[in-house]
Amino acid sequence: MRTNFSEAQLADPEIAEANQILETCVHYGFCTNTCPTYVLTRDENDSPRGRIDLIRRMLEKGGPPDPKTVHHLDRCLSCLSCMTTCAVKVDYVHLIDRARVHIEHHHRRPWPERFLRGLLANVLPYPRRFQWALRGARAAKVLPSMVPSALRASLAMVPEPKRLDTDILAPGVYPAEGQRRKRVAVLAGCAQQVLNGNINRAAIRLLRRHGCDVIVSAGVGCCGSLTLHMGRESDARVSARAAIAAWTREIEAEGLDAIVVNASGCGTTVKDYGHLFARDPGMAEPARCVAALARDVSEILVDLGLAPPAEPKAYRVAYHDPCSMQHGQRVTRHPRELLRAAGFQVMDIPEKHFCCGSAGTYNLLQPDMAERLGQRKADHVASTDPDIVATGNIGCMMQIGQYLGRPVLHTVELLDWATGGPCPPALAGVPLREPAEPNQEPAPDIPVVNDGGGAANDVGVW
Amino acid sequence: MRIQEARIEPFFAEIQASLGSEGINRDPETLRRYGENTMPGGDRSPVGVVYPASTQDAQTIVRAANRHGVPLYPVSTGNNIGLGSRSAVHPGQVIVDLGYRMNRILEVDERLAFAVVEPGVSYQAMYDELVRRGNKLMLDVTSGPPQGGMIGNALDKGAGYTPYFDHFGFACGMEVVLGNGEVLRTGDGALDAGNLINWHTSKYSFGPILDGLFTQSNYGIVTRMGIWLLPRPPAIRSFHFAFPDDDDLEQIIELCRPLKLSNFVPTLFRVCNDLYLCGSEGENPEYRASGGKRSISDEGRRALRESHGVGAWTVSGAFYGPSAEALEPQIKRVRDLFCQSGKARYIAHEEAEGIGPLQVAINTFSGIPSVGELGLLKWRPGGGNTWFLPGTPMDGKIANEFQRVCRKVYEDHGLDYTVMNVCGPRFARGLHVITFNREDEDERRRADDCYRRMSEEVARLGVFVGRAPLDYHEFHMGQAMASFREACSGIKQALDPNGVIAPGRYGIG
Repeated sequence: MRTNFSEAQLADPEIAEANQILETCVHYGFCTNTCPTYVLTRDENDSPRGRIDLIRRMLEKGGPPDPKTVHHLDRCLSCLSCMTTCAVKVDYVHLIDRARVHIEHHHRRPWPERFLRGLLANVLPYPRRFQWALRGARAAKVLPSMVPSALRASLAMVPEPKRLDTDILAPGVYPAEGQRRKRVAVLAGCAQQVLNGNINRAAIRLLRRHGCDVIVSAGVGCCGSLTLHMGRESDARVSARAAIAAWTREIEAEGLDAIVVNASGCGTTVKDYGHLFARDPGMAEPARCVAALARDVSEILVDLGLAPPAEPKAYRVAYHDPCSMQHGQRVTRHPRELLRAAGFQVMDIPEKHFCCGSAGTYNLLQPDMAERLGQRKADHVASTDPDIVATGNIGCMMQIGQYLGRPVLHTVELLDWATGGPCPPALAGVPLREPAEPNQEPAPDIPVVNDGGGAANDVGVW
Repeated sequence: MRIQEARIEPFFAEIQASLGSEGINRDPETLRRYGENTMPGGDRSPVGVVYPASTQDAQTIVRAANRHGVPLYPVSTGNNIGLGSRSAVHPGQVIVDLGYRMNRILEVDERLAFAVVEPGVSYQAMYDELVRRGNKLMLDVTSGPPQGGMIGNALDKGAGYTPYFDHFGFACGMEVVLGNGEVLRTGDGALDAGNLINWHTSKYSFGPILDGLFTQSNYGIVTRMGIWLLPRPPAIRSFHFAFPDDDDLEQIIELCRPLKLSNFVPTLFRVCNDLYLCGSEGENPEYRASGGKRSISDEGRRALRESHGVGAWTVSGAFYGPSAEALEPQIKRVRDLFCQSGKARYIAHEEAEGIGPLQVAINTFSGIPSVGELGLLKWRPGGGNTWFLPGTPMDGKIANEFQRVCRKVYEDHGLDYTVMNVCGPRFARGLHVITFNREDEDERRRADDCYRRMSEEVARLGVFVGRAPLDYHEFHMGQAMASFREACSGIKQALDPNGVIAPGRYGIG
């Protein structure tokens, strides 16, 4: 794509980078067919290709963007499905992030939007504040008419107390069981700890069981992901800087083999810290080191090799790939391998490249689009007739759970259960069908896509 | 037919009344995008896009087009990149986008192994559905975009690589809205009855086989089609051979032919040249230095081959069977045969899984849509891409002569010879990729001239193209004998007397 930036504009390294990205887009349009918003609206400006053009015009012009541009860029989920499909590998993620920052700096939103965005940016990354906010929200639910209309959609998302399992971890060391094989830090996260504390508990149990000393480092809070994708890059850098400093202290003290992340949205951001601080001389190197150590929890468990399940539970597990994991980190094989190794029957969900509509704060800021996507995803999940639904990101768990009307579990909760941990609390009281006999068949020879294939398909004609 | 301004508004008013506002898009930005394509001839903006949700909607649109004299241009998913994308033949046509709301899988019969789909159903959607149902059946996929439409590909005579490679050949039973607005059911569906249990299983029903009329034509809009599916085999093992020299193609074709005539090897053979495989892994390393004016050097090609572990030609095929072990003897027989001359280097399935471009081959043999081959489109910058798709008889000498002729034409135009021969028993389709910088006027002209020159050269050697980019439909129809052209026009007159369906497409009407 031809661009038209002035020399002065290109002297700004952020614009220079955006220009470089813009020039790679040649408008093939493969991205349109895998973009959830385009598929729903068929509006070019709701497609990556259309948005790239809007971003080009906005950045070339500089200054305040027009409301239409803001509308269409706000509707982007940053799911990055387009990046998986793009034939010329346009670095869309860094372009849309730059556009969001530009909007944040140059566009004055109507006050209800400003209020909601400010609230989310100042509450969600802080577990204690979020905990209090949820209490307040539950009280407000009693009298919804008293709540400003901008907040009503968010209020509807507030989980019932019985669906919450808050457990805010204190910093500390959780020693390996048996011989130590690795020393790893775990990102305890922010909102996740308030919504579902069992994810961290299960991850830590699993890692310890597999020979890891697990460190929850003091000083690490939010990774910066939530604010980064709202265009609040400075806030994101503050959070990320604190995390990098804390982990760097661990690396320098006793060393770390990995920084384990169990919310894939956060994992994608931590793995990209190198880019976030690329132009910060003091931070670039430590950021790169931390990013290089970052692993999704499923990646580290595959490295460690999952212990054989004590008693395989061959439940049908529909696995949902979070966008941040499949498109951001390209981690799709690991969770499936682990769940299979743990004895579960793993099923792919149709249209798995599609976002569920969670997308960080998207379902709070764009509730209508998020609802359509959430319902669409839930319908696809239900079509696989699963006993259990699993994924690797808290946002997806909450979003799909809401539209599916049943709990969605984190992969580590199932792996922990299969290898000696307790039954995940979310399954308490949930009736499950008797699982099938554990599958004794050899692994299929074809690229594994689902149960089926392999000897199960031998109907005598081969 | 040139659109008349006065006819357009009443047409859209009628569509709006029938389909509602969701059925029309006339937003200028949307129209600009629908007009974009990757071919040398430039973009062609439509005047509107309509989105039917049913066969009845399609019929409403066609009837309104007849009443108001408005030319339509139907697309399924619009992923025919390099052959036309969603761009119409002429500016000012109305795109009928069947991909937005007619994308339902109407039926999957697991016992008789067929599916019935609407035009918007993509390979990925069909694959996902089969996996959801337990992965017992396999569809044949292309190595192109996973979001490509199954019906669109079959009607354009597209193909894959498994035993069900011939997408039109393995389609059965269509529903078509003809250009005159009538709905036609082909094959057993022609029976004037309600319970058509044989529509998508029998091709040999009473009367002429009309289905072929709707391939590479503009006589109607196909709104439903049956697609046959293959039981997914328990084990799939691929094999690959790398050959060092360009002229090894003669030997390769001679080796492949008997293996396909006998059907000893169930898949087609993918015989890819070095650039076809390496091109998906990065940009031409010499492009920037030469400003795109020269073809990549022999040294550059050699370096790419070494870097990616492939040959000047690399042959890929696969066996299906009950287990990997059971397939070993068959692979050994093929291996012995290919390695007899001492030129071939065997690449085993496991090794190939680690070589990106060969993983694409494994995916296609396994009926798994993938995006790997799309990387070919970034071999040169600027987004220009068009395909030249003739074929050769499976005769080594002829195929090699074609190779020399076409390679020279590419080189004469400073472009990079990039080809995959997909080999069946008697015929190999040559998928020639012409990647060029569309933003460079000189390079765009060279690409256009390269295409036309190759078409003339292969015609001189006695071969017609198979599929063709939209820019060249009229040109190719001009290469056909007069009576063929007249027959095509006559059929158009009979089925679409006002010429509303894609006038000019495939050089008809």
